Amino acid sequence: MKREKATTLYLGPQHPGITGNMMVKLKVEGDTIVNSTTHVGYLHRGFEKLMERRNWLQSFTIVCRICVPEPDPNEENYARAVEEIEGREVPERAQWIRTLVLELARIGTYLLWFAGQSGSAGLYTMGQWSIGDRDYVLDLFEELTGGRVYHMYIWPGGVRRDLPEGFEAKVLQTMDYLEKRLIQYDKLMFDNTIFQKRAMGVGWIDPEKAIEWGVVGAPLRAAGIASDVRKDDPYEVYDQLDFEMGHATTSDVWGRAQVRRFELEQSINLVRQIIEKMPKGEYYNRIPNPMKWVVPAGDAYVKTESARGEFGYYVVSDGTNKPRRVHIKGPAYVHAMTLLEDMLKGANVSDVSFIMNSLGTCPPEIER
Amino acid sequence: MTTENNNLEREEAVVVALKATFPDLTARVKRIRRVEASVSKALTPSVLVHAKNVLGYKALSHISCVDWIEDEHFELVYILWNPDEKIQLLIKTLISRENATMENIDTIWRQANTYQREMREMFGIEFPGFVGAKEFLLEDWDDMPPMRRDFDTKEFVKEAFFLRPGREDAKDVRDTIAKRSKEEIPEFAKKYSREK
Repeated sequence: MKREKATTLYLGPQHPGITGNMMVKLKVEGDTIVNSTTHVGYLHRGFEKLMERRNWLQSFTIVCRICVPEPDPNEENYARAVEEIEGREVPERAQWIRTLVLELARIGTYLLWFAGQSGSAGLYTMGQWSIGDRDYVLDLFEELTGGRVYHMYIWPGGVRRDLPEGFEAKVLQTMDYLEKRLIQYDKLMFDNTIFQKRAMGVGWIDPEKAIEWGVVGAPLRAAGIASDVRKDDPYEVYDQLDFEMGHATTSDVWGRAQVRRFELEQSINLVRQIIEKMPKGEYYNRIPNPMKWVVPAGDAYVKTESARGEFGYYVVSDGTNKPRRVHIKGPAYVHAMTLLEDMLKGANVSDVSFIMNSLGTCPPEIER
Repeated sequence: MTTENNNLEREEAVVVALKATFPDLTARVKRIRRVEASVSKALTPSVLVHAKNVLGYKALSHISCVDWIEDEHFELVYILWNPDEKIQLLIKTLISRENATMENIDTIWRQANTYQREMREMFGIEFPGFVGAKEFLLEDWDDMPPMRRDFDTKEFVKEAFFLRPGREDAKDVRDTIAKRSKEEIPEFAKKYSREK
């Protein structure tokens, strides 16, 4: 058979289908991709180097900027790593508030993901609704922290301030509203034949190899592997909460969407549990003067289950007032590089954004 | 922080298992679900393969590099996860800063490819036999690898960037506005001024 001539296509860095500032270089024969390479470097801000020159508290204002859709796991990871090295106790109430913030962030991120995933299938109504609903979650963040996107709220020693008066009632109202909206989402997205046909059987990951290849988060659970940092390596107060992991066995875009849809509902229930069980008390174990604050020598590896998967921080202190090294690993570091490059081989060119969204690709955390 | 008992039997069993196969290695339990081991550079690939294939540390969570310039070495930290035992294993090794090389492990874990590309670019560590696109985050970079501690960021900025013509005096915004508008900086704000 005569071999077709391959064409090179550049998807990104400016393209509505790409999930941020990165580029995928595709070699296509007809509609089929024969080779793909991820190119990053459009967003490198040198955060890890910057942190080496700033003191421990100044670095905390940088970490949230590593991931725009979901900054809170970064704040929590950094704070917990510093606390682990220093041996600093965190008040119980602060741990509950942190868990509340992380779950609200997860809800916001899943809503944003709904928009990306449905938008890449051409279902724009769904995206406009879920982005609109995400704004209600951002309203809560604005009231709690003063910021809608970057919160800088979880810091070493606890959280920056206590819950405002009447905040719990507003959170519960928002959760009631979002729960009702899930029925609409199901109709718009999961009952939609277009989405079903596009998602089923597309972007398959071999479940046998998934762990070895570094797959984490919803894609791993959609491959039938029960893995969630909240269960496997519990942090904050997740061991005192009752929730289930999403589960699917299809290991395709459809399965990943099912897992996230289920977990969105679980997160709404988690928020209700947290509000119900949250104890009264202190919310901050005050750190010394930040300009003179010295963290003893040591290192810590901590991780969080973000909405896109396991988020890890390796933090090293040399016993001075500045971090020696803060090394961040987000799920996209593997998902958007080696995994995506392998997955796209043999895929249809129209499925590229669809597969990328299902993996939760986020270039800022590759580059930092 | 979690309310678990402090029974570290499982973690201690990992230390015993590692030492049984590699007597030269030092290992300790850091805390619940965290074990760390220090290994020589030559032994590291064998320990990694053993951890993956025999001890069940199938997942590579992270590879980090720390520059200990005062001791003239890099510390590489391979962070592995055992999905059955739920234990994180940190394998640390020291390599010389001068002509830094390390064994390529992307044949053990495919995703190590990205980490190694970054370490080659940011720290200047070479991995003989490693095939990976040369450029990762930086483009046309011919300076010192920028994550090395002796890379002077301030000097680099001075050389690489220039002040906008006509704005050379605008290094301190507050002072410049005060001079141009001929308004006095309030007494309380003077302590923040760069021109003291």
